[in-house]
Formats: sequence, C-alpha cells, structure tokens
Amino acid sequence: MSNIALNRLQRECKEVVTNSEVSETGIMIEILNENLTEIKGHIRGPPDTPYAGGMFDLDIKIPEAYPFSPPNASLEAVKFTTKIWHPNVSSQTGVICLDILKDQWAASLTLRTVLLSIQALMCSPEPKDPQDAVVAKQYMDKPQVFKDTAAFWTLKFANGTVPVNAEYQNRVDKLKDMGVREEEAISVLSCNNWDLNRATVYIFS
Amino acid sequence: MSDDEINMDDSAESDQGEEDECLSEDDGIALESHDPNASEYRENAEPDNEVLNHDQLEAEMKKTIADVQAVLQVKSGTCRILLHKYKWNKESLLERFYEHPDTNAFLIDAQVIPRHTEKLPCGESECDICCMVSELSGLACNHRACTPCWRSYLTNKILDGAQSEIECMAANCKLLIEDEKVMFYITDPAIIASYRRLIVASYVETNRLLKWCPGVDCGKAVRVNHCEPRLVVCSCGSRFCFSCGNDWHEPVNCRLLKLWMKKCSDDSETSNWINANTKECPKCMITIEKDGGCNHMTCKNTTCRFEFCWMCLGPWEPHGSSWYNCNRFDDTVAKTARDAQELSRANLQRYLFYYNRYMGHQQSLRLEGKLYATVKSKMEQMQTLSMSWIEVQFLRKAVDILSECRRTLMFTYAFAFYLRRDNNSIIFETNQKDLEMETEQLSGFLERDLETENLVTLKQKVQDKYRYVEHRRRILLDHCSEGAEQDLWQFNE
Repeated sequence: MSNIALNRLQRECKEVVTNSEVSETGIMIEILNENLTEIKGHIRGPPDTPYAGGMFDLDIKIPEAYPFSPPNASLEAVKFTTKIWHPNVSSQTGVICLDILKDQWAASLTLRTVLLSIQALMCSPEPKDPQDAVVAKQYMDKPQVFKDTAAFWTLKFANGTVPVNAEYQNRVDKLKDMGVREEEAISVLSCNNWDLNRATVYIFS
Repeated sequence: MSDDEINMDDSAESDQGEEDECLSEDDGIALESHDPNASEYRENAEPDNEVLNHDQLEAEMKKTIADVQAVLQVKSGTCRILLHKYKWNKESLLERFYEHPDTNAFLIDAQVIPRHTEKLPCGESECDICCMVSELSGLACNHRACTPCWRSYLTNKILDGAQSEIECMAANCKLLIEDEKVMFYITDPAIIASYRRLIVASYVETNRLLKWCPGVDCGKAVRVNHCEPRLVVCSCGSRFCFSCGNDWHEPVNCRLLKLWMKKCSDDSETSNWINANTKECPKCMITIEKDGGCNHMTCKNTTCRFEFCWMCLGPWEPHGSSWYNCNRFDDTVAKTARDAQELSRANLQRYLFYYNRYMGHQQSLRLEGKLYATVKSKMEQMQTLSMSWIEVQFLRKAVDILSECRRTLMFTYAFAFYLRRDNNSIIFETNQKDLEMETEQLSGFLERDLETENLVTLKQKVQDKYRYVEHRRRILLDHCSEGAEQDLWQFNE
C-alpha cells in the first residue's frame, strides 16, 4: 500500500478511537493486520430502530488505491459480518448498497464517514433502491412485520437485549424440531413473512 | 511528410489485394498500370471516407478546440470539456453559448467553472487527503490538496477509471478538471501519454462522424460526412459498416444483423454466458454486465451514461417512487421470455435452414481466399500460353466479384430469416435464387481446369458471367434498399 494510504488510515483510525466516539455515536474501528488492509468496523444499533441494543460487525477491505478508489472498489469489500434484516443489505451475504461506497465516493470521505453513513442507513432504510428485494417488499407492504423481524434478527445475531415477538421464537422452535438449523429457520421464516406453512413447504420441497 | 503518412499510403496500396505481390514479383512496371484498372468495378462502390491516425485525430481535435477558443475566450482544456459535452458539434455548442444570456451561468452548468468558491488562506496547511502538512493547491473551486495526492488521484482516474473527464476530488464537487491542470500535476510521461490517448478516444467515441477501425492493432479512425449505416474502408484494409462496426452487411440492417449474430452464436458457451449475465443498455445498446447488487444501473459508455433499472430496462427516474411496478413487470418479462423460447423452438427448423445457408456462404467466402492463390497461378499459366498480362486480369476481377456476391448472399439469409412473407419477400427470394444460381455458375467456371478450354471462349464466358452476376447483385441490393426506403419490409423478430 502506498504511503498516502498508510498515513491516511493511521490518522483515520486514531480519529475514530480518540474522539471517544464509541460512546457518542456507537462506531468503532479495529485493526486486524499491521499493514491496515483489513479492518473491522463495529456499529451499535441506533436507538429507536429495530436494531437498538445490537452490536453489528463489518468487514472492511482497503483497496490498493485507497483513498482514491472507494473501499467498495471491488465487490463486497465493505460488508456486514453480523446478519442483519435491512432493505439495503443482503440478508444472505451482508453486502451493502450505498452510493458513497461506489460511484459517489470522494477521496475526502473517511472510514468514519462511511460507518456513520451506514449507521444513518440503518436509521432510515431506502427501500426504493434495495439490495435485498424480499426485505424491501416486506418493509413496504408489512411495516410491522419488518420491524419485528429486524428486531428478532438483532436479538438473535447481534447480541440484542430488547425483547421481541415471542410467537416468532415459537415458530423457529417448531422448525428446529423438524431438524432445521436455527439460522436457516429464521431466514426462511423471515422471507415468508413468518408463515410457518409456507416456510415448511419451501424448506422441504 | 511524416512516417505515419508514408505508412498510410503504403497500406492504401496493399488494400488492392494480394495480387499486388504476385505481380511485383515478375513485373514492377505493370504494378502501376494495373492498379486503377483492377479496381475499376470497385471504384463505384468504393466509399469516400477519410482515414485518420492518432496524430491526425489529435491535430483535428486541436483545430476544433482553437476555433471554439477564439470565440469563447477560455482555456483550451475548458473548450475541450465543453466540446465533449456537445459531442464535438462545434455549431451546436456555439449556438447554445450565444443563446445563453449569462456566460458565467453557462460555464457553471457545463461544470467547467465552480458554483461556489471557498476562500482559503494560501501557504502550507494540512492536506485533507493524506493528513500531512505541505504546500496545497487546487482548482478554481478552491478544494485543495497536496501535489502528491492530486497526482495519485488523477493517475488512479486515468489508469483505472479510463476517464478523460475528471471531477474535482472533493465530495459533491462536480467541477471538471481542465487538461492544463491534469498535465500540471502529472509528471510521468507514460501517464500523460495515456491521458492523451484517452482524450483522443473520447473525441472519436463522442463524435458521431468518427469511428474506430475494428481491424486488429489498427488504431486508426474513419470519418464520414453523414452518420448512417454504410460501407467504409480503412487504410489497413478493413471493410466495415460505419454504424455497427461489423463486416459490411447489406442488405440486412444493423439491428437485425445484431439479432442474427446473437442467435447464431447461441450455442457457444460464451454466448450462453452473455445471455445469462448481460443485458444491453436500453439507450446505446452496449452490452452490460451487472457487477453490483442493486438494480440502479448507470451505463459506463462515456457517451451514454444512461441510468436505468436492471429489471425492466426502463429509465431509472420513475423508479424512485414505484420500484415495485418492476416486480410485477418482471413476471411479464419472464412470461414473454418463455413464450419467445417456445416460439424459437418451433422456429428452430426454419432457423437452421437459414443458418446453414448463411454459414455455407461464409465458408465459401473464406475459401475464395484460397481461390485467389489458385487464380494467380492460373493467370501465370495463361500468360505462358498465349495471353498478355492485361488480358488475364479478368480472372482476378471475377474472384473479386465472386467474393462480393458470396458476402451479399451470406447476409441475404440473415435478412430473409427475419423477413415476413408477402409479395415483396417473394420478389426478394426470386432475386436471391437467381443470384445464388449465377454465383455458383461463376464459381464453377473459376474452378474448372483451364487447359481443356479454349482460352478466348473461357474469357468470354467468365466475363459475361461476372458482369451478369454483378448486375443481379445490384438488382437485389437496389430492391432491398428501395424497400427499406419505402418501408415495404415487414420483419418478424
């Protein structure tokens, strides 16, 4: 990696860490290797959203030409490693659809702005420009189901603490009794608006 | 005269065909006398397009820039950006310029001068990009950075982005960087050369009257006076359609040819992949691979940049409010696709009929390359018998005409495949049948063993035949183009 990128990243990491932003904004950066090409980001679920109380992890791969090409220059370079139910994030892979990660990237943006933008996206999803069409459809057609589902995912995958719809857990347990892995059960039920029959048909057909 | 021009002249001569070589072997003087003679019939069809190499293109581009600069009184780099925006149509740029009440607003809209200028102190300060303190500089918008950062940014855009129009580095600043600035920051001659190539490439690609020659390693462009599908010839010998860049394909039009070629390569793995993974930009028809998650697509073709929806291929604009219409639309698309599939199965037999004939002529056309060599030796043979050099030239011309007929016939099958049956199509088929039959007879004459024939009679026969065949070819093509003009042809797609 070039000197510019190294300098920049060292400064950026310091910026996030020293600003005591962890408590203020709930974003954090963790450096995985010495040459700073792999970085882990953490975002606390913003309050008053279904993600509240959860801690979401992201993988960030820094491209060779950083900061002149965006962190997302190659596909999937910034993605959630924590499973999350969100219209602009793939529920399968965690890939994020966000303009500043692609064509709207500018060299003056930083990892901090990226994480803050992702956090803002968690507060206000954009279902009209979706990454996961199934989630987006649910968000548009059944807002309450979406909220409950997103909260359920937060509890299950992001160490959430907020109590959720108990019926959902029942249905997951029923599928588990049939020998389905919990993660798959949650995913299929979520995609089928928690209709147990349809989920069963989907899994076993 | 520069080297390039000399090269061009050379290749223009070799364009006349392989026979040049064979003739120069035994008779150097004859070379000159035969050239205009041999291309006699071709001259009628020979297009009047210009061929330009990189330096000529650059010179021509600079001239246009200078013309505009004289009026606009701004930097030449700025003129280039403006001209690019107006697709190198000088008149329309100047017209807009004069129409616009406020010159400044005009330049702001064109993203060549900044909307806002931030006032900043000069001297050393910390660069926002690399976080190091040094001398900062920037554009008119006063977004500043240190020189190494500008250099890296521009290098990245030029080498990875292959862009010749580069926006300011700051977020949301749309100011385009003029060439003078780019050259100021970039010092590496290799990158400057790449940038100059990009500029010329964008000049050719946005200019409606210019097209790159598709010939391997040719790197020249051809210019025409009107943008239309027509035969153009490059000095490297490539003959192609100005509109679509394929082999000259009269009578079939570019759109149908593209459909046809796609259909023909349906079986290959590559085309399976293309079908499965790409779609065409609904505006400029360039083939696009989707490499990201969301359905909001922006065409990467510099002249197009159309924003559309991957699902329905409609413009993206209305999707902000009604993306879900696409979900429903998707069903219809899938249904249409299924119907189309069934239809194409039913039509498979029909398709194979046309395909086999198309490929047959293509194969023959390739073999006529060999025929040139055979004919060459025959011509030598005939000269040893009784005829003079000039008298045997008819054989070469016959092969020229034979090749043209093969090419035309080949594309008539693509044309016929899409043609709906009506009275006109019956006339077309009669013309096609006639041409095919006569072409095969001409082909037969040329393959016949010469020694058993009386040379004078043979010559007479061949000449009669090729005149007649060429005449039939002309009739077929004229009928097709008349039909196109009068909108007589009905196509099934």
